[in-house]
Amino acid sequence: MNLRMLGGRLERAAVRGQTKITGAALGPYQSAVVRIGFSFTWLLFLLREWPHRQVLYGPDSPWAAHMARQLIEGNGAFTALMWSDSQAWFEAVYVVAVLSSALLLLGWRTRTMSVLFMVGVLSLQNRNIFVGDGGDNIIHLMSIYLVLTRCGQVWSLDARRAARRRQRPSSPISPASHVPSHAYGTSAPPAPPSNTSPPEIIRTPGLFGSDSTGVVLWTLLGTTLAVITALGELSGGWALIFWGLWAIHAAWWAVCRYAPGEPRAVMDALANLAHNATLVVIMGQVCLIYATAGWYKIQGTRWQDGTAVHYPLNLDYFSPWPGLTDVLASNGTMVMVLSYGTVFVQVAFPFALLNRRAKNTLLVVMMLEHVGIAVVLGLPFLSLAMIAADSVFLPTIFLCWLGSTLRRGRERLLRRPADKPERDAGQRAARTLVG
Amino acid sequence: MIGVATAVAAVAIAVHLGMSFLYVAPSNTVNKKHGEMISDYLYPEFEQNWKLFAPNPLQQNVAVQARAEVRTPEGGMAVTSWSDLTAQDGEDIRHNPLPSHSQQNQLRRAWEFYAGSHDAKEQPIGLRGQLSEQYVRRMVAHRFGPEHDGGTVERVQVRAATTPVAPPSWSEEKIDLKPVVRVLPWWPVTSGDLPGKQASGDRRSADGQAKESDR
Repeated sequence: MNLRMLGGRLERAAVRGQTKITGAALGPYQSAVVRIGFSFTWLLFLLREWPHRQVLYGPDSPWAAHMARQLIEGNGAFTALMWSDSQAWFEAVYVVAVLSSALLLLGWRTRTMSVLFMVGVLSLQNRNIFVGDGGDNIIHLMSIYLVLTRCGQVWSLDARRAARRRQRPSSPISPASHVPSHAYGTSAPPAPPSNTSPPEIIRTPGLFGSDSTGVVLWTLLGTTLAVITALGELSGGWALIFWGLWAIHAAWWAVCRYAPGEPRAVMDALANLAHNATLVVIMGQVCLIYATAGWYKIQGTRWQDGTAVHYPLNLDYFSPWPGLTDVLASNGTMVMVLSYGTVFVQVAFPFALLNRRAKNTLLVVMMLEHVGIAVVLGLPFLSLAMIAADSVFLPTIFLCWLGSTLRRGRERLLRRPADKPERDAGQRAARTLVG
Repeated sequence: MIGVATAVAAVAIAVHLGMSFLYVAPSNTVNKKHGEMISDYLYPEFEQNWKLFAPNPLQQNVAVQARAEVRTPEGGMAVTSWSDLTAQDGEDIRHNPLPSHSQQNQLRRAWEFYAGSHDAKEQPIGLRGQLSEQYVRRMVAHRFGPEHDGGTVERVQVRAATTPVAPPSWSEEKIDLKPVVRVLPWWPVTSGDLPGKQASGDRRSADGQAKESDR
């Protein structure tokens, strides 16, 4: 074989690869569904624990602030709840955690909200590490990973706003032209992805351009950060991360406004690169979870003799429905099939990714198993978190179908009570933009 | 520039996933040699444990029970009967589609924390041992409140009864199902152990605790 030809081919492949991973933030639907899944899980958890928040994380909790402080001095974990032991501060952090989850779910200022979401998750979980389970662990990791992704490209208020901006300069509104191509999922991912700032340069008058909300939010958070830094509450590493993110936001806004040429293209490429790399980490993380869970099980005698599932079903803490667990646990063949099936699926999953059909089949099986675990073992938040993590592997075509089905369902639901056709049309136009 | 960034990203992916892999993998040639570097990288925010119900699921129920020594209104001392705190959790979890972490994890994991950081003579191992003791004591004090069974709580005692889960009915396995009871010493309860006294109360209790551990 001609070496020069081979070299040339490799070079072209490298260029193609490079273009692919910097040219677009891949998996826009998958990253969006992971964002929605985790913010929903954490939001639901926070609301559910609202009556129990004091005993779990509050300054009056049995795990008192001074005890947490001793542990955190040793391991250096991040939690805003150590900045003050006052009740008001605790309530404020909890409320910010709730609001940031809700806004991340909706995709409003997605990147900023993802940072606040991470702050909320780490603050509460690190305040008391002795109340969590596997579900909290995966939320913890994903809240950090999500910060580095462009997870608001679709199914977000940001995407809707960006689409509106793209429409505005063009001809009068017609409902059909309002729908971005990606909303129906028939074509490639949306062209200019953006989490934080409008992707298009719009020359409108005014000091802040067209994005005054963004500037206000940025200033507010910068001021807060300055106060916290001045009080000496941030460690060097975290100060670097938060100030870095803050500065990047400013830089992105500036290049969008003043340097739409190469500087903007470079920043865009870097953001795509960070997104794509993080997506690989998220997928690797999910594989690691199943591989670990499965491979350790192979070594367990109970999983070998097919009785493993019998035991958790008989633990006081994991049997909310005694009638149901009795029926399940009393059937020897069923217990054996469930025990072996669990091990098969968990061990097989990372390898099943090599084949699309096998991957999709196992995804369905695993999600169903998590639904079962949610009910039978009383672990709804762990199961929801695992389903959210699994979703990163869902096929685009399925996610698009799901999106359009939900959209149609919502339209049907909203159309009935609307008596004014005019308003209805306006709503529909707005809705379709969210995809 | 983009090329360099791509290379950096590739290395970052490899390092992060490699470290995570070595951390969750069984003890082996590589992670025994570089254990410290691996935990330095992953702690505290990337720590993970995915041995979910593995290698074997938990096969025993631990019932944490507590009783109190109370000062009666007449001025005498009385010891209450044992309250099964785990059974109270079980009661709250039953027929509950969304069990709270405060019902499902808090006491269970506090006990695991305690058991894992105390020796057979109930002596605390390091800071974690002392903290776990305070945690369990405060949890009991919270559940009892300042008044329990008609008196003011002065001291509490905890015991844990561990009962193996019976093997399935179709199994020929025979195991002893008698609970093993572990009884802890009496612990004095201060007002700082109770809610509503946070800032000043906690500090007082911290001082008390320091003296206690000096002894």
